[in-house]
Amino acid sequence: MKIVDSTPISPAAARITAAAVLVLLLLLPLFIRNIYWIDLGVTVLIWASLATAWNISGGFAGGLSLGHAAFFGVGAYTSTLLFLRLGITPWIGIFVGAVLAGLLGALLGVITFRLKGPFFVLATLAFGIVIHIINVNWRGLTRGAAGLLLPFRGGPQNMLFLNLWAYWYLALGLLVLTVGISAAIERSRLGYYLVALREDEDAARSLGVRVVRSKVVAAATSAALAACVGSVYAAFIQYIDPDSTTQFELSVQIALVAIVGGMGTTFGPVLGAAIVIPLGEILRARVGGGAALVVYGLLLMVIVLAAPNGAIAGVRLLVLRFRRLIQSRGATDA
Amino acid sequence: MQLVLQIIANGLLIGGLYALLAVGLTLIFGVLRVVNFAHAEFMMLGMYGAYWLWALYGLDPYLSVFLVTPVIFLLGVAVDRLIVRRSIGKPDVTVVFATLGLSIFLQNAALTLWRADIRSVSTFATGSVFVVGGVRLSVAMTVSFAVALLFALALWIFLTRTMYGKGIQAVAQNRRAAALMGIDVKRAYMITYSVAVAAAGAMGVLVAPIFTIFPRVGQTQIVTIFVIVVLGGLGSVPGAVIAALLVGIIRSGAGFLFGTAWGELAYFAVFLLVLIVRPQGLFGRRGAEVYGG
Amino acid sequence: MLDVQNVTVDFVGLRAVDHASFTVEQGQIVGLIGPNGAGKTTLFNVVSGMIRPTSGSVLFEGKDLSRLGPADRNRLGIGRTFQVVKPFGGMTVLDNVVVGALTRGQSRSDARETARATLDRLRLGRFENTVARSLPLALRKRLEVARALATGPKLLLLDEIMGGLNPTEVNETLALIQELNSEGLTFLVIEHNMSAIMRIAEKVLVLNQGALLTEGPPAVITRDPQVISVYLGEPIEST
Repeated sequence: MKIVDSTPISPAAARITAAAVLVLLLLLPLFIRNIYWIDLGVTVLIWASLATAWNISGGFAGGLSLGHAAFFGVGAYTSTLLFLRLGITPWIGIFVGAVLAGLLGALLGVITFRLKGPFFVLATLAFGIVIHIINVNWRGLTRGAAGLLLPFRGGPQNMLFLNLWAYWYLALGLLVLTVGISAAIERSRLGYYLVALREDEDAARSLGVRVVRSKVVAAATSAALAACVGSVYAAFIQYIDPDSTTQFELSVQIALVAIVGGMGTTFGPVLGAAIVIPLGEILRARVGGGAALVVYGLLLMVIVLAAPNGAIAGVRLLVLRFRRLIQSRGATDA
Repeated sequence: MQLVLQIIANGLLIGGLYALLAVGLTLIFGVLRVVNFAHAEFMMLGMYGAYWLWALYGLDPYLSVFLVTPVIFLLGVAVDRLIVRRSIGKPDVTVVFATLGLSIFLQNAALTLWRADIRSVSTFATGSVFVVGGVRLSVAMTVSFAVALLFALALWIFLTRTMYGKGIQAVAQNRRAAALMGIDVKRAYMITYSVAVAAAGAMGVLVAPIFTIFPRVGQTQIVTIFVIVVLGGLGSVPGAVIAALLVGIIRSGAGFLFGTAWGELAYFAVFLLVLIVRPQGLFGRRGAEVYGG
Repeated sequence: MLDVQNVTVDFVGLRAVDHASFTVEQGQIVGLIGPNGAGKTTLFNVVSGMIRPTSGSVLFEGKDLSRLGPADRNRLGIGRTFQVVKPFGGMTVLDNVVVGALTRGQSRSDARETARATLDRLRLGRFENTVARSLPLALRKRLEVARALATGPKLLLLDEIMGGLNPTEVNETLALIQELNSEGLTFLVIEHNMSAIMRIAEKVLVLNQGALLTEGPPAVITRDPQVISVYLGEPIEST
């Protein structure tokens, strides 16, 4: 077999690119007036955060969860119900939801850490469905399929804004938070442990990596961040129901976004959201919801079979080619 | 007492139909080590096959089952070639999401082609019941159950009495050893996958007169099928049959006792519990859950 | 240092290890030999905590390990390699070793230093940026050793790290083991290469069908008629 050296893109270059993209996103309001595009932009940011949250346990640790909508839903419902019933602002509710989901994620982590491959997937799927069934049927708390309407009371102090751009900045702030945490984990001790556990659990254990602790911390962090996204989503849409928060399809799409973009990398899920969400929206508008999902299904099959490292791997390849091109130019010039 | 008998009879009938679906799913896992997330989609296609042959040509599902099943078998061959075979031995993400992608694709292709309309097929048996010892049985369900038994029997004979079947069993036991013994492992994969999804298609045709037909009907059933095969022990065919009958009875009983929703919840909770405490299933062999054994 | 007491391991319908008892003293190099299927690797798995014995116990520096998993045993000072190598395939060679150093509580930069030093010692330094999956087998075996060494073990369990090496490489490996041993590291070594193990071991344990057949200094073991009869029909490898 050929000996392959890893050719990382330098951290400095990655940081500069990320900063440039961030500045662009911050300035975007200067260029765009169309409400439809702003709305789509906020949706992309929300999905980018959600996929990034999934990626912490799904990508780094390799625990392919098909139940993450449960955590998203816990976040959305916790902040909304606290606001509706007790008048507590979502700015506080978002943290309560994160803590609740974090505990739930830790619990799920504790009971499933031993399961491998499809068994883990099925357990998370069952967990997600249990939460969904509770959501649909505990009408006294969630009002079931009727859903909850967030009344526009108070304004900014309650995470409610009249200007759509405010949600853009809110979602952007959330994305910076999730990506920041994800990047910190990737480069931390925990990040090394998670990848080691994903690559070979026995070897990792023999080197002193504690399985339960690492996986549970990852699961809890991932769940808590997904819940934060749920709270922001609820404040943005101002109406939540089981179908839009805890449904199985939603769990599948969270994983899909991360996988298409490139799981196990910090920026892959963000790229995934930037590709999948607009594509889905355009298709839905032009040819209908069914056709959009046909494309999702095809995309998922093609990616996992032909390019399991996702779109980010393609970008990497392009960057490296470009760099080599510049280097060879430089060499001939000199 | 009468009520208990009624619940058990209904449960057995529905469970027998589920068994046809579950046996295929568990067989695919046992032989290919792939969880076929698209399994119930083949049932859905079978249902639409039955519907269109009935709506356009007036063909009775109990006849069209012999037409639709071979077509779905061929579809299985194609899917194995294009998707499933390419995912074997790849990382978990490929194995899991390739068939999940296929499921999304088929479901929504059906939605796009045939719309979300709810359809149904009526046969000579529709709506009529007969009474045995005070227990009322639906004629349609009973006939479907009987035909399903016939298919299950054929599958059983195929697996245990034919060369192909024995080859498949050898591959399920030990891939490497089977390959060394000169068994064409790839062909065993193809036959397993195609036969299993054909069985799902046949089940679809048979339940067309009983269930309503719509593009997402597979999705409403797939999780039940997962529950069955996990309870029975992923990879265990007899386990799947027993678990299917059991789940059939539990469902008809729990639905009656607690109402459908909370009955559902109880049974997913049990599913989660089994996965965690006894991942090899109630009847499966130990070690299967570590995925490789 | 290591005290294996009456360990038995039963698999379904098979007794893999049968009432095995032995000790390894601080500073020793102990060889563990036996025909294929004798239960050597199973014994390693018991000592490192990968599997729980059916009965019997393992003591390390006087401490009963029964309730500890592999991670905690490693943290107490037991390192191991795997006969079927288990690299973190997608990681670079350097990162593979960094994982081992990190569990010792080192900071990331310190861990990287430790990892580099360890790689240099095993002459893997020039492969530090190589994707581990793409290393040739002989180098992957060395990576196993490097990774375990980076955890700073007191006792190192080596599982057939010399299979497939040429005589020069075997000599280098033996020299490294002896050098590490002189620095205070204790070894328990499974090896198929008899002549190699006989050259460095202070004591050799012979395992047959799960049971400890005999133990003693290499010179005695090689002349033991029981050992010779066990190995009859299986060539005693030499280089």
